[in-house]
Amino acid sequence: MALQKFSKSVDGTIPVQALLYNDEELIASQDGVGIYDGLQKSPQHQSGTVHVTSQRLFYIDALKKASRSFYLELSRVSQTDYYAGLFTSSPKVTLHLSSDNFVAEESTQTGFESWECEVCAYRNPPGLSPSAARICGLCGVPRSLPGKISSSVEIPQSNPTSSLPPSASTSVLPEHPREPSLIACPACTFLNHPSMRTCEICATPLPKAEGDPHIAKSAPATRPGTPGSDNNDPDSKTIKLSFRRGGDKAFYAALKRSLKGRAWEVAPLNVANDGVRSGISGIMQAVETNAQNRDTNMSNALEDLEALMAKAKDMVRLAAELNERLTASSTTTANNPYSSSLSLLSSTSTEPEEATFIRSSLSQLGLQMENTPVTLDMMKDEREWMEQLARELANVLQGSAKANLSSSTGGGMMKERGIIALDEVWGGWNRARGVALIPPSTFLQVVPLLPAFTNPTITSRSLNSGLAVLHTPPYSRAAFAARVCGLLALAGPKSTTEIAQEEGMTISLTAEMLNIVEEDGDVCRDDGRCVIQENSQDVLVLGEVNWWANLFLGYSWDGQQ
Amino acid sequence: MALSTHTTTTGFLLPSIHSAPPFFTQQPHPASLSIATEQWIQIILKYARHRRLFTVRVEDSEALGNDWDEILRNERINRKLIPSYLSYILAQMVSQNLAVYEPPKQDRSILIYWRLPEEWAEVLYEWVSSSGNLNTIMTFYEITDPPVESPLSGLPIPLLRQAITLLSKSNRAQIIAISEGEGVRFFPTTGKA
Repeated sequence: MALQKFSKSVDGTIPVQALLYNDEELIASQDGVGIYDGLQKSPQHQSGTVHVTSQRLFYIDALKKASRSFYLELSRVSQTDYYAGLFTSSPKVTLHLSSDNFVAEESTQTGFESWECEVCAYRNPPGLSPSAARICGLCGVPRSLPGKISSSVEIPQSNPTSSLPPSASTSVLPEHPREPSLIACPACTFLNHPSMRTCEICATPLPKAEGDPHIAKSAPATRPGTPGSDNNDPDSKTIKLSFRRGGDKAFYAALKRSLKGRAWEVAPLNVANDGVRSGISGIMQAVETNAQNRDTNMSNALEDLEALMAKAKDMVRLAAELNERLTASSTTTANNPYSSSLSLLSSTSTEPEEATFIRSSLSQLGLQMENTPVTLDMMKDEREWMEQLARELANVLQGSAKANLSSSTGGGMMKERGIIALDEVWGGWNRARGVALIPPSTFLQVVPLLPAFTNPTITSRSLNSGLAVLHTPPYSRAAFAARVCGLLALAGPKSTTEIAQEEGMTISLTAEMLNIVEEDGDVCRDDGRCVIQENSQDVLVLGEVNWWANLFLGYSWDGQQ
Repeated sequence: MALSTHTTTTGFLLPSIHSAPPFFTQQPHPASLSIATEQWIQIILKYARHRRLFTVRVEDSEALGNDWDEILRNERINRKLIPSYLSYILAQMVSQNLAVYEPPKQDRSILIYWRLPEEWAEVLYEWVSSSGNLNTIMTFYEITDPPVESPLSGLPIPLLRQAITLLSKSNRAQIIAISEGEGVRFFPTTGKA
């Protein structure tokens, strides 16, 4: 039957987009479609989705996607009819199929893979439609397929009648790369290359190759058909699409357009007509065009990204507004729970779960914040901008008064710690802002303003290695030295690690701080390199430094006189 | 941790600071360093006098089994002086004129002046006159290794030569070439020269 003969089964579990050739385009889709094979309903294909592309027609079965789906080459469709439907009869589209270009079909069987051009050695990628795969993508030279001759010769036999539209057979066939078998010289029997006109050895004129297109084309006229058993029956060459859920008109229009477009022959014809597509200049041009296309694609993609960036700001503002309104509504409810129905925001205030939901989604999106980050365009002048930034940074470091009340979210970066490296502060602040990030230069300008906005005051200080830190008063030079001395006096010598634990600071930061204390002469060191032998009784291990209160100052000789 | 003095097996009384671990580290803080170094120089000079030692080498801090063990190491607190710090201390001694590099033109070992060359000169002259050797010619060997133990026993030749040079400046001695090498003749003093 027609369906069996013309269709090719396909795994419908794969999305249609993935089934397309590289140069193929999906034009229209319609679900709720049944298939008639000839005049009979095809029982296996009664509910599915039909997709029409520039080259093919796909049927993806709704129930058994893997086994019952198929596709049909549009190049086989010679004629279409449209039936609008009547009463219970659904609208239908009839496809009349012609079987004369089996050849093209067979050539695609081997063509659907990566292959190397014989002329320019360009490796053509797989995934092109059969027509495009017939020529080299770089130099435009037709691909030569070994063993082609056999199928070419068959054309006359399979050509049924002269009633077929001429386009498909005559225009496609000459494009075929053909490689007829070697020609035996009638004089010396040398097997000549098919392109030779005279024998290479004895120069005897050679008979023309059997597979010559002229012979092939004349065949239908001289031999009017070797009809198969069912070839005369028009039913065996039609397939009907029954549109049970409408959409027939639009789909039919798309199908017509696709058929008219003749995408399956356009590609090779274009190449043939394009005079520049030959020689080195042609290759160069092809490469250039490719690069241009890639450029265009890239800039298109980046445009999208820019558009997204532009939208991000609005998004944040929206989130902030939403958040503020939610806060307002929740405080209203908290203050006067009985009058909540009177308030303007009654809808949200009576539904706290919704509010919580919105808030949690906002925070999941990273948009939760106390208020929007300060940006330069909000401020009137530079000075105020700096002060606002300092206020914001103070909030980030110490947590705002509001946030402290709500416990879990509050705190700030320096709630637990008295000293913190500047780079960590910068990173943390920008993470808190999320948008409109602060450049380091601005950050450094803001830091000196901090003491005015923080309580206890946070000041900056740079250590010997150049590391800058922000710290609270207990970590100033004098206070820290006094504390370390007190600790050493009380608990005896301590290693850097122990002091770091005591102070809750990182070891490297502690080492830096201790070096400064040592500079002041308040402590002295006991270097692990001076250990004779490592043992368990000694608190000091090799490579460590133990700190002692400075026992040299004020020492006087008490040894032998 | 209370620090206390300690008497070594050779009877030397070590100062209490010698039992403080930080004492063995070269302190980065300049004031602490200068105090600690001063104390080290004191210990080295006094110990050298105690045991009549005349040289310290940087290598002495690296290996066991030399005269300086009980000074440069403190087994009780598991600390030792590392060579770089000892080398710094030796340089300080030389710069303070308490020692001299011996042999010259290197900085790995020093000759300790636990008596200055002037003092040695006086000691030498005292000993020569008290032992009745004025106006006689003596070899260096006779001075540094006399049959009866003397304050000059074991005196290194370079130091002896310096002392004699100092004496000859005040006309109390003269170096004379003799068959076995060098000799020295001491003259009685003619009042204040």
